[in-house]
Parts: sequence; C-alpha cells; structure tokens
Amino acid sequence: MIGFMKKDLAMMKSNFKLLGILIVVYTVMGFLGEMDISFILPFMCVMIMISTFSYDNYNKWDAYSISFPDGRKNSVKAKYVATIFMILAISVLTLLLSFLIAYAKTKTIPYEQIFVSMLGTIFGTLLVLTFMYPIIYKFGVEKARIVIFLLVFGIVIIGRILTQYLDLSFIAKALSFLENYLVILVILVAILMVFISYKISEKIISKKEF
Amino acid sequence: MENILEVKNLCKTYDNFVLKNVTFYLPKGMIMGFIGENGAGKTTTIKAILNIIQSYRGEIHIFGLDNRKYEKKIKEDIGVVLDDMFFPEILTPNDINQTMKGIYQNWDSKKFYDSLKEFSLLPNKQIKTFSKGMRKKLEIITALSHHPKLLLLDEPTSGLDPVARAEVLELFQSFIEEEDCSILLSSHITTDLEHIADYITFINDGEIVLSKTTDELLEQYGIVKCTEKEFKSIEKKDYIKYKKTKYEYEVLVPDKKAFKEKYAIAVIDKITLDDLMVLMIKGEEE
Repeated sequence: MIGFMKKDLAMMKSNFKLLGILIVVYTVMGFLGEMDISFILPFMCVMIMISTFSYDNYNKWDAYSISFPDGRKNSVKAKYVATIFMILAISVLTLLLSFLIAYAKTKTIPYEQIFVSMLGTIFGTLLVLTFMYPIIYKFGVEKARIVIFLLVFGIVIIGRILTQYLDLSFIAKALSFLENYLVILVILVAILMVFISYKISEKIISKKEF
Repeated sequence: MENILEVKNLCKTYDNFVLKNVTFYLPKGMIMGFIGENGAGKTTTIKAILNIIQSYRGEIHIFGLDNRKYEKKIKEDIGVVLDDMFFPEILTPNDINQTMKGIYQNWDSKKFYDSLKEFSLLPNKQIKTFSKGMRKKLEIITALSHHPKLLLLDEPTSGLDPVARAEVLELFQSFIEEEDCSILLSSHITTDLEHIADYITFINDGEIVLSKTTDELLEQYGIVKCTEKEFKSIEKKDYIKYKKTKYEYEVLVPDKKAFKEKYAIAVIDKITLDDLMVLMIKGEEE
C-alpha cells in the first residue's frame, strides 16, 4: 500500500503551491480579523485528492494498477489513507495557525472553540470523502459529479419537505442526552462512516472489470 | 519443456464479441508473438491473464500456479506493458521509482535509473513532457526493473518509429538473455515478431487459429501463386485458404515441401506473418 500512497501524494505535489497560497491567505485574513476560512484548507485537500482520480482515469491507472501485486485492494486503501493523512496534516497546521493568530490578537487562546470548529471541519471533509469515493469508484469522476449533485439536491429537497410539514424537535430532545459526549460521538461516527465507505469502495473495485 | 504460461479453454462473452476456448502454452525462456487484427481478442486475453477482467471461464496457470488463487505471488514476478495504460502523466520517473519501491519486493532502483540513463530519459521530468517513443520506453523500463520472470506486453511497439522500435526490440532480446525469462508480446506489427519471436500464436475473431514455432511456420507454410486452372487441380485438404487477385490465385499451403512434391506448380513463395494474417482473415476456404 505504501507505494500506492506515495504515488497519490506525489500527484498532489503540483497542488502544494496552491495550498501554500491558501495558507498565507488564511493567515493574513486571520490577522486582519476578517472572516474565518480555516475550513477551506482541509476541504481543499479532499478536492485535490478527488482531482487525482481524474488523472488516474485519463491514463487508465486503475486498470494498470491491477497488474501489480494486490493492486485492486491496495489502490483503494492508499487513496483513503492518503486523503485522511492529508486532511489530518493540514488540520494540525491550521490548528496551530489558529492558536497563533488568536494569541497574537487577544493574548489568549480559545482552545475549546478552535478545537470544536476544527473537529466540525474534519467531520465535514470526511463526510465528503465518505460519499464521493464509492460513487467515483462506481461511476467514474465525471458521472460522480452528476450523481453527487443529484444526491445533494435530493437531500435538500427531502430536508425542506420534512422540516416544513413535520415537527422534528422531538428528535433533538431525544438526543439531547448525547450533548456531553458530542466530541466522542462525532469521532466515532466519522471513523465508522469512513470505514463503511472504504469497504463499499473496496467491494466495487474488487468486482470491477476494465 | 516447462511452460511458464498455460491458457486453457479461455472463454469470455461481451455483447458484441466472444473469446472462444483460447488455448496456448508459452514455454520457459521463449518469446511468443501474439498476433491478430485489432479487436481479435489479444488485449482481452492479456487482461484475463492479469485478472483485469474476471468473469471469464477457463484455466490460466502462470509459473505452474492458478492465476486467481495465487494472484499476489504470481504478480510479483510479472512485468507488464499495456496499451495506453500507465502512470498518471503528471508524475515523473522519480515518482515511479518511489511508488514501485513500495509495490514490488524485488524493485531494483539502480537498474531503473541505469536504464533511464541508457535511453536518455530525465528522471525529474513529468511523463507528459515525453514523446510517445520516450513514454513507451519508460513503460518498458518500468516493467523490467523488478526482474520479472514473465513479461506481458500488449502492443509495446505501436506508434513508434522504426528506430525506436528497433531499440525496444533489442531491449527485449537482451532482457531475455540476461534474465532467463519469457515474453508474451502482442502486436499487429508482424515484421517485429519475425525477428524476435520463437513462437507465434494467431488469434482471429476470438479464436486461436494456430500456435506454432516461428521457424516451423515460416519454413513449412507457403504461398502458392497459380492460375485458376492450376488452383482447381489442388485438393482441398492441401491448402488452408486462398485469395483470388486480379491476375492469379494466392493459396496458403501448410506444407510447401509436400505440396511441391505432389503438384507441378512452379511458384511457391516463402510466407511472411503479414501474408499469413491477411490470407487467414481475408482468404476464402472453398
């Protein structure tokens, strides 16, 4: 799997410049007191990783990689691990920058607030990965964009209908006891959803013919 | 002789194409040319050998092992060049080296970089900056750098100019001499194969038409050029196919020596793989 991961990370090299610029913009905006854009960096990582699928697809890498030992399994595993590794690495960097900016401006660091905000961002990026990767493996990058659009559109419509015609406050009340365990819960749900997503992708690739 | 690759009764059905009972054997240390027109089933067969396609029937043994049961072990010792499939072109040979080090236990970085130098390929240039010939050479170098025992090459010389083709073929020959391994080389450029292949396997419309040593094929088979009257005197069992041209009949015979002894027809030409392919595909039987 290490080889496949190195390949995916090497493909991101050309986007490191863009990430570097975003980090500078984020830092400057943070010091100037403008809006918080810390969520952008981890999201950019996922988007860059998704762009690697396009390159893979263009050069028929997926079919070629099957000629390697354990190619089917390792190419999927590496994609997930490389993405999570990048998300966590950039999140740690963003976290440190947030601490630095907060301290420079107020001489105090709101640890909890920054942690919770970052945790939300990581969860959001993992959610994108969870849905996108199996769809990409199943339909390819181009079709996946349409599928994702339809999926998001559907969820928004259903959400609107549900909230308009049904009183869902009982769900919030029923789950209020979980408030104290929110952080642990978010982490557990994130791990579970990524694991399920990975297993689905693995299954798709194990049966796919090229 | 020990077989490195055995394909037995391989069948695969698509909507518009069927691979029918493909059977052939590649002995150790030999180069087999796998010929046939575009769409004949060469790539499908190679994909089945590598399990890139899976829902096929039949048996495939590589190094004496079942290719599905021992897939991982087998693939450690196979080098592959597939038509139009490779690393993403934003990567460099350096990236390929780093990747392959983590994939093959026997990956030989020194051999990889020595070969890059030999073919004047810069290790830090993106693949997309390479010409088609350079890219093909890189694909071949990549396939050779983990000391494989079997090379599966799908159209490795297509799109190359004659000089690049000669270089690539030389590379295969020196590889087989140094490494004592075997090659299955699919191509529709048959002149390349006449020079380097020990065996020829010919596939047409999803079926194996023949699988023989190149010497046997080129020595025994022949093309009889004759008039209509002469052609009518030839028994059906003595020829395989024929083609009527503007001035004469071209008749493919499986044993030109025996034919010469039986018939008093003067012109029997030596056959080339090109002639063989054209007559087998376009020729008539009756």
